[in-house]
Amino acid sequence: MDVRHQLELFPGCGVTLLLFNRVKNAAALRKKAMEGSIEGALINPAMIVDPFQILVAANKAVHLHKIGKMKTRTLYSEIIFSLSPNNNISDAFKKFGISDSDTAVLIVVITDRGETVNLEDIASQVEGQQVPLDELAQLTDTAKVKKMYKVTPQEEKIGTLLDSIVCRMSTKDVL
Amino acid sequence: GISAPVVYFVDYVTNSIYLEDIVDSITVQDHINSVQQSGNDTSSLLILAEKMGELLARMHDEDLIHGDLTTSNILLRPPTEKLDLVLIDFGLSFISGLPEDKGVDLYVLEKAFLSTHPDTENVFKTLLKTYAATSKKSGPVIKKLDEVRLRGRK
Repeated sequence: MDVRHQLELFPGCGVTLLLFNRVKNAAALRKKAMEGSIEGALINPAMIVDPFQILVAANKAVHLHKIGKMKTRTLYSEIIFSLSPNNNISDAFKKFGISDSDTAVLIVVITDRGETVNLEDIASQVEGQQVPLDELAQLTDTAKVKKMYKVTPQEEKIGTLLDSIVCRMSTKDVL
Repeated sequence: GISAPVVYFVDYVTNSIYLEDIVDSITVQDHINSVQQSGNDTSSLLILAEKMGELLARMHDEDLIHGDLTTSNILLRPPTEKLDLVLIDFGLSFISGLPEDKGVDLYVLEKAFLSTHPDTENVFKTLLKTYAATSKKSGPVIKKLDEVRLRGRK
């Protein structure tokens, strides 16, 4: 049920996405994430429209991690930060990370060549049901996403919502 | 609101930009050539011209100057019949509200158009007509275009 993608630009580097619904211990999970005791990025699925959005964020985070130019302290917090269209780190965590009252969680795990990660171990820490990644679309809050990324109706006529989001994520350092 | 490839990733280390690949697209240049060669009804090219005029008008109304407008810098997404245009290659582009800059932008396209595609004066005329009708600021731009054309001949 979990899906593992390869990052084209970083061969051997895999990105695994696990989606959980009916989660009861979001508060505890958030605490663990802040302490760094969970090997993954805990993301609010309502803000994600497509797994590609995660891949773009992960790609950027891995790149910055390799050249030592991350803006945050860990690879996983960097992924969350990369999702944001602006450069405010705490805002990124608030909007894209999980909150205590969330009932769905998307966990992103990065594995480098040769590393193994125990997905069951991570899943066992979640008091909720793991569901197929296809259910992500049902969990997306499109209105909230459009508001966050400031997507205009003009843009929506030209391209997809995912296109607008990816553009903002990848060019935020320039603007 | 201008159709262009999506930017996926900017690498400041190698100074490279990773963009969307518009799969199975063809350039407007190749399309015009194939329509002319196959002896097909060139009235379809007039509709293409209208679409281009409209696209450029919207671009210029946002004060975006492409800087290198040619028919090989405009792509057609498949299926070609839909005339879904995508602008590419913004290496020489800049922001400007000046009618002179927009006029020059159009002049560059006109020169490239007429030299690459013989017997297409009508097509370009249609492009300009739609441009003028679509753009809110076209008056001064067309005026400047005329001036630039005169200057170019000297």
